[in-house]
Amino acid sequence: MSDYRILNTRAPRVDAVDKATGKAIYTDDLRRPGMLYAAILHSPLAHARILNIDTSRAEQLPGVKAVVTYREAGTTPYGVSPARYDETIFCHDKVRYVGDEIAAVAAVDQDTALEAVRLIKVDFEELPIVLDGRTAMDEGQPLLHEMHKNNMCAKVNWHFGDIEKGRKESHIIRTDHLSSKMQDAAFMEPQSILAETESNGNLTMWSSTQAPHYVQRTLAMALNIPLHKVRVIKPAVGGGFGPKASCSSAELAVCLLAMKTGQPVKLTFDREQVFLHSRARHQFFHTMTTGVKKDGSLSFLEHKCILDGGAYASFGIATVYYSGSLLGGPYRLKNMKYDGYRVVTNKPACGAQRGHGAVIARALFEVQLDRIAEELGMDPIELRLKNVMEAGETTCNELYVSSFGMREALEAVRDSAAWKNKRSSSGKIRGGGKGIGAACGFFVSGAGYSIYRSRTYHCTVVTKVDEVGGGVTVNSGSADIGQGSDTVLAMITAEELGLSLDDVQVASGDSKLSVDLGAYSSRTTLMTGHACREAAQDAKRQILEAIAGKMSVAPETLDLKDGFVVSLAGEIDFSELRKEYLQEHKGFVDLPDGPQLTFAEASRVAFLELGTIVGTGKYRPPPLGGSFKGAAVGTSPAFGCSAQVAEVSVDLETGEITMDKITGAHDCGFAINVTQVEGQMHGSIMMGMGEALMEEIIYDKKGRIVNANLAEYKIPTALDVPPLDAIIVESNEPHGPYGAKEVGEGAIMPVIPTILNAIYDATGVRIDELPVTPERLMAAMKAKKDKKG
Amino acid sequence: MLLPRFDVLVPETIDDACAMLADYADDGVRILAGGTDLLVDLRRPIIPQHVPRCDGCPTHPEGQIATTIECEPSKSDPLMSPEGSIRTKLADPKSAAPAFLVSLHKIDQLKGIELLPSGGLRIGALTTISEIERSSEIRKDWTALAHGADSLGSPLVRNRGTLGGNIANARPAADTVIPTIALGGKLTLQSSSDTRTVAAGDFPTGPGLSVLKPGEIVTDIHLPTPSPHSGSAYYKMANRKALEISTVGVAVWMVLEKPGGPIKDVRVALGAVGPTPILAKSVGKVLIGKVPTDEILVQAAKAAAGDARPIDDHRGSAWYRVQMVEQLTLRLLKSVLSGIENDR
Repeated sequence: MSDYRILNTRAPRVDAVDKATGKAIYTDDLRRPGMLYAAILHSPLAHARILNIDTSRAEQLPGVKAVVTYREAGTTPYGVSPARYDETIFCHDKVRYVGDEIAAVAAVDQDTALEAVRLIKVDFEELPIVLDGRTAMDEGQPLLHEMHKNNMCAKVNWHFGDIEKGRKESHIIRTDHLSSKMQDAAFMEPQSILAETESNGNLTMWSSTQAPHYVQRTLAMALNIPLHKVRVIKPAVGGGFGPKASCSSAELAVCLLAMKTGQPVKLTFDREQVFLHSRARHQFFHTMTTGVKKDGSLSFLEHKCILDGGAYASFGIATVYYSGSLLGGPYRLKNMKYDGYRVVTNKPACGAQRGHGAVIARALFEVQLDRIAEELGMDPIELRLKNVMEAGETTCNELYVSSFGMREALEAVRDSAAWKNKRSSSGKIRGGGKGIGAACGFFVSGAGYSIYRSRTYHCTVVTKVDEVGGGVTVNSGSADIGQGSDTVLAMITAEELGLSLDDVQVASGDSKLSVDLGAYSSRTTLMTGHACREAAQDAKRQILEAIAGKMSVAPETLDLKDGFVVSLAGEIDFSELRKEYLQEHKGFVDLPDGPQLTFAEASRVAFLELGTIVGTGKYRPPPLGGSFKGAAVGTSPAFGCSAQVAEVSVDLETGEITMDKITGAHDCGFAINVTQVEGQMHGSIMMGMGEALMEEIIYDKKGRIVNANLAEYKIPTALDVPPLDAIIVESNEPHGPYGAKEVGEGAIMPVIPTILNAIYDATGVRIDELPVTPERLMAAMKAKKDKKG
Repeated sequence: MLLPRFDVLVPETIDDACAMLADYADDGVRILAGGTDLLVDLRRPIIPQHVPRCDGCPTHPEGQIATTIECEPSKSDPLMSPEGSIRTKLADPKSAAPAFLVSLHKIDQLKGIELLPSGGLRIGALTTISEIERSSEIRKDWTALAHGADSLGSPLVRNRGTLGGNIANARPAADTVIPTIALGGKLTLQSSSDTRTVAAGDFPTGPGLSVLKPGEIVTDIHLPTPSPHSGSAYYKMANRKALEISTVGVAVWMVLEKPGGPIKDVRVALGAVGPTPILAKSVGKVLIGKVPTDEILVQAAKAAAGDARPIDDHRGSAWYRVQMVEQLTLRLLKSVLSGIENDR
């Protein structure tokens, strides 16, 4: 049991009632006077030269207010990583995927805007296309971008330790492969954008985004507006998972239309556009060779990966680094070589998605560990326990783990799932259609560096005490995208100021409120949490100093608890202060009359003494990581880790897979909100399960998505998800606020390999292509049977 | 919303509905029942080429981004699934954007489940899938149809979707159609000038295509009187447990002469393994008159697989579908048999 009043509880989310009752305002709910509607012309071709764009008929359509192409937008390159700016607001020379943005229209209503888009005539010269990431770098392949020679937009060649030495020490060496498919994050709320300008040239954009700060910067840069004149506001957001973490051409186009017309302009994506814009999980082709010594300790990992990232770089450079760096943990691994290649192809661009870059790599490595355990005749959980890192260790790629409940998590799932009763200790599989499997995971708790090179604080928080007394407002640029960060900020503030949650308002998701890098890399609880605590403590200090001054006592002898000022040095007579407060509130009822001074009184008196009280807090991680090229990616002030056990049933005659149960344990350092930690674990497991068993974007030969809708792109339904058992491990992270670190992404890391290992246990068959559909499993079982013949 | 503009006509009798269909035929008119298929099909896609999904189509005539591209189904395109090709029909500009929808929702004559004096069942075409799911008569005596209703879409879709709509939409994977065919269902079709009856199995003629004439409405579905010692079942195989279009669906109906056999009559209907639902006629040749044994049921299942005519598409390959037809048919034959035996 903790000593906290609010933290470490199941406090209801601050937005729960509004979201449950439909009161929460999302971007698409917003209406502004004189608002226009936008539509975008997307390329119907995967690769073509643009010969001419004729917008004349669209411009003549009654109701059309503006038509914009690259001619109006300019061709300032932008993107995510400053070293790889390869996008422009609209295509000007070429289109590079089906869906690439060519033009946009603003009109009085949506029908007119859509009709106008249909009237834009584009002359194309079709070009040969590249669809297969594995061969995209080959000689003679059509080139997408001049700047990405051989269609390679980023590569990583790392060698830590000495893998040849590791090879020599190995008792077993095995090589395995795993490939995945491009994915969609399938968030509930399609992207929605509303932009408006003011007469002084200020631009405000409301957008369904994860990262108002980065979006603000990109808008200012690509539209050439001073940064301070751009404001990005994030209303309620229905999920992001990564694809909403960067500025989109749609956001830029809508702002441009608002600037051209002087009227508010709105655009909400159709679900098909969500698929076309993508920026979701890359397609990965991994090959790993892993060696272990006789006793099961890891000796080396040699890892190659090609990432198919679609038409633009987006987050891809970070993705290819993460694919390699995050295999540094959670096991002791001294020798690791990684060669990663991120290629471009004529498909929608991929970006970051929950478990950025590391999910499929983790899946293959954990599958390898099971195969090695089988060869060694060792229980796969025992093999893992033999290798897990402990707090205070550093990985071969210089990631320092300051807290690490990996062993506890693994033991917790082993015991909770009764592993020992279900799986033979010799690593032998069960077969017969019933299977159990385990795996671990490792993830950052906030990226150690901002995306652009800077000494910037990663977040600041401004907590303002109401001048009337009684409440406080937390101002933060952080982005609650459904993960619950506003609730975390409210809980921290309430805890520090001794308030109830109802007396804390959180204003967030607005670039005017404070700097915050946004909701990505599982950073908000740790980083914004730090800044929020500091701001609350700062406000508290000022209030108590004011009261102490009035009472002529030392500020250190006062504290705020349960809505009151308490004196640590014996009872104090506050009646003078109360008198002043009561005098101000003639006619009010339910005024304070107890022996203690209330927070309302104290904060009012403090205002009367000092004027407006504002507490501020800030956070930036200390310098992290090694000095090798790319060492910054994968660094973090702290690392989360998790273990899971999956139990499955496989119909051996049809290949149908039923998930029976998943038991997961995650080390989040300290659970600020217990229910939210469990919720992130549940969500991660469901998402990972979809990736393991169902989800794949399917393209036809011309690069068109065949299943660009949620009927044909399968994610698990409530009926598919098995009972989930979420176990929280708390290792008390020294670098986290109150000991807290991430859970948002780390919990997805073990899901896919846990399921793959369980399927293997059930069937004796390994699948090296995701997702494992009944048909793929059936084909593999048939192939095995035929081989046995 | 990316729906085209249309007007909705709301007749209150079948005759009025037929008259409207005839009157507005030239303007483009479609029948609206539950709307769970129609409204999805009417949605205008962002990428026009998403509609036809067939190779060899002109993708951008004269370099222009065309509004709608007409094309014929191409058997050679692996993506041209039996399901996909229904959309091809809609690429005809007239049917893609009808000026009028005739909504049937106020026609009470089209609603309800009614046990007939003969022992048979009449189901109004506008009966929702949920109502079928909840009907204890259907679950007891026409079990396969209850199974089909259980497995269609999601509760929300089942609350809107209708049996008549599922039939008239003529998709080869339709979850209530495969059981209706196996159960020997008959459909009543009505127009301003004519009323006729067709066997459920004779109704679809291709993916999205049927014998329904312009101006005609499916008004009701008749299921025959259940025979003694009979039973039925349907199984839908798909990648997830709800909101799915089947990879393969199989319905079995069987009658025994007496408990313990021999088999008096049997019908096996297959879904998603051809351009229309398929009545696997070879099964009857193997089983009728025979005492059911494991060996003969295996033979019958192989015969069903032989009747399947699947193609490769994004929901499953032909080889897998054939295998699944065999496997599912065998399982269903066994479960229906044991159901009949346990019923005694």
